[in-house]
Amino acid sequence: MALKKATPSAGGPKGSGSGASGGRGWTSTTGKRPSTGDVARGTVLTAGAILVLVPIVWAVLSSLKSPEELAQRPPTLYPHEPTLNNYTEALTAFDFPLYFLNSAIVTIVATLLTLAVNSMAAYALAKYNFRGRDTLFVITLATIMIPLQVIFLPVYQVVASLGLVNSLWGMIIPAAATPTGVFLLRQYMLSLPDELIEAARIDGAGEWRIFARIILPLCRPALAVVAIFSVIWRWNDFLWPLIVAQDESVYTLPVALARFSGQLVVPFHLVLAMSVLSIVPVVIIFLLLQRQIIAGVAQTGLK
Amino acid sequence: MSNRQASTAGAAPASSPRRAAPKQRPRWRSVKWAPYLFVLPNMALFGAFTIYPALNAFNLSLYSSSDGRRFTYVGTGNYSQILSSEEFWSVARATVIFVVATVVLTTVAATALAIALNAQRRGKGLLRAAYFVPFLVSPVVVGLIWRLALERQNGLVNTVLDAIGLGQPGWLLEPRLTLGVIVLVGLWIQLGFYTLIISAGLQGIDSSVYEAATMDGATWWQQLRSITLPLLLPTMLVVIVLSTIHAFQAFDYIYTLSGGGPLGATTLIVQYIYETSFQSPIQFGLAAAATVILFLVVFSATLINYMAGRRREAV
Repeated sequence: MALKKATPSAGGPKGSGSGASGGRGWTSTTGKRPSTGDVARGTVLTAGAILVLVPIVWAVLSSLKSPEELAQRPPTLYPHEPTLNNYTEALTAFDFPLYFLNSAIVTIVATLLTLAVNSMAAYALAKYNFRGRDTLFVITLATIMIPLQVIFLPVYQVVASLGLVNSLWGMIIPAAATPTGVFLLRQYMLSLPDELIEAARIDGAGEWRIFARIILPLCRPALAVVAIFSVIWRWNDFLWPLIVAQDESVYTLPVALARFSGQLVVPFHLVLAMSVLSIVPVVIIFLLLQRQIIAGVAQTGLK
Repeated sequence: MSNRQASTAGAAPASSPRRAAPKQRPRWRSVKWAPYLFVLPNMALFGAFTIYPALNAFNLSLYSSSDGRRFTYVGTGNYSQILSSEEFWSVARATVIFVVATVVLTTVAATALAIALNAQRRGKGLLRAAYFVPFLVSPVVVGLIWRLALERQNGLVNTVLDAIGLGQPGWLLEPRLTLGVIVLVGLWIQLGFYTLIISAGLQGIDSSVYEAATMDGATWWQQLRSITLPLLLPTMLVVIVLSTIHAFQAFDYIYTLSGGGPLGATTLIVQYIYETSFQSPIQFGLAAAATVILFLVVFSATLINYMAGRRREAV
């Protein structure tokens, strides 16, 4: 809500009120005096950002509290006696390492599979003229409108008839061929010159070799974007693993967390510790690859 | 790096004569079937796990089953049963309210935030990253965090509200309030993501347009109304389409936040399908019929959004 208030005072390209604030004693980095609008906008944006982050920070701090302190009323703002006991207990009380491993396997294998099948399809759609190409491309675009989350019931029927229920493969395979991945990679491959491929053919390189040795290395930036999004999505994915995983031995982290927090007496101190641990890998990826992630989202919008 | 720049630079002239003169070059038999092999794995997966199931949903919705194994043909019985089911309609109503509120709020807030961020000179990247962080957190964890934060007596939110004398609202105990909560938490998750999309659209607007407008004496508000928003419309349309498709699928954070309660007030369509198909009493046919309905709604909502956008662009 605060954001809406921010916009009227927010400057366009040139803040209209810049002349009004003549008497200010400090200047911005650009050498221009910041207008009242600029200051108000900066303040509201910063306050909003802090407000957005508060629940996460609060959860991390709470995970360092003892169960007694968590139950205290009124609640404490920060842990008065910070302890890592919740973490050590969560690691031993549940099969946490196993769930972590399952999540990691699903995430890594699914991402590799996605990259493989998507890039191959994208290459054919971008660089070959063949009968049915346009139809296949339209089908690819149309499947964006048929998410797994909507048709999970009939997909479950297919997975069940293939005997993949209750296995990690059952989680990995069904959503591996992502339409957006094909689309992003195809757009990128269109920008690669055809001469490259023709020249390689004249040199006697086979079709597969051209794809694997010439095209794929050139597509590294686009592959990185698809990989990052696949990792974030698979690591956090919930509904489909929930449906496929029936034994605890194949639980992924989100499934385990939801199951434990659905119990009659919820061990919140342990759930908090597991939650924080489950966030860590994605946050690390974000900090390392922030630039690619932001560029990737921008591409989604530009179509 | 320089190598790639050179190759992309050559892309434009290369695309026009594409395969204009294939006869002069030697042809390889492999080229003919190679593209089919390349698309095969991806299309096989599409076929088996997207297209076939989507079509099969129609077929399944004509049968009734209480265990997912033995099926009896009931014709359109599932549809007449579900369309006269009070539970289904209350789920449908909650879903529609949720989707409309989410899409409107998301589009407006993301546009406002993107415009404000775009004008910001200092700390732009850091702010953008801060707003994006909730998108990275597993929705299951998001639900758990907010469930704790909104707890009536011990939660973070009510502790603050109580301290400033606003009492302790039962965020997760009153049906209407809870529906509002899941809309706002959904916004909290998505805002940073859609802001990035709008930001990309903003950067695509030529700055000389603004310079000309400023010289003509246009105020900030006039510039926003007659330059920024009209030129941003295609990008906003993308946000509307994506957030609509996404809002219809909302499930995971709601599952751990409110569990669909209180009194089913926040049970949306995906949770309804999940529970009817996998929790007793299992009513596979009803779930399949609901799947078909949801599928058709999502599909047509996307088409309508898209065509409405096309028309506005044409005018």
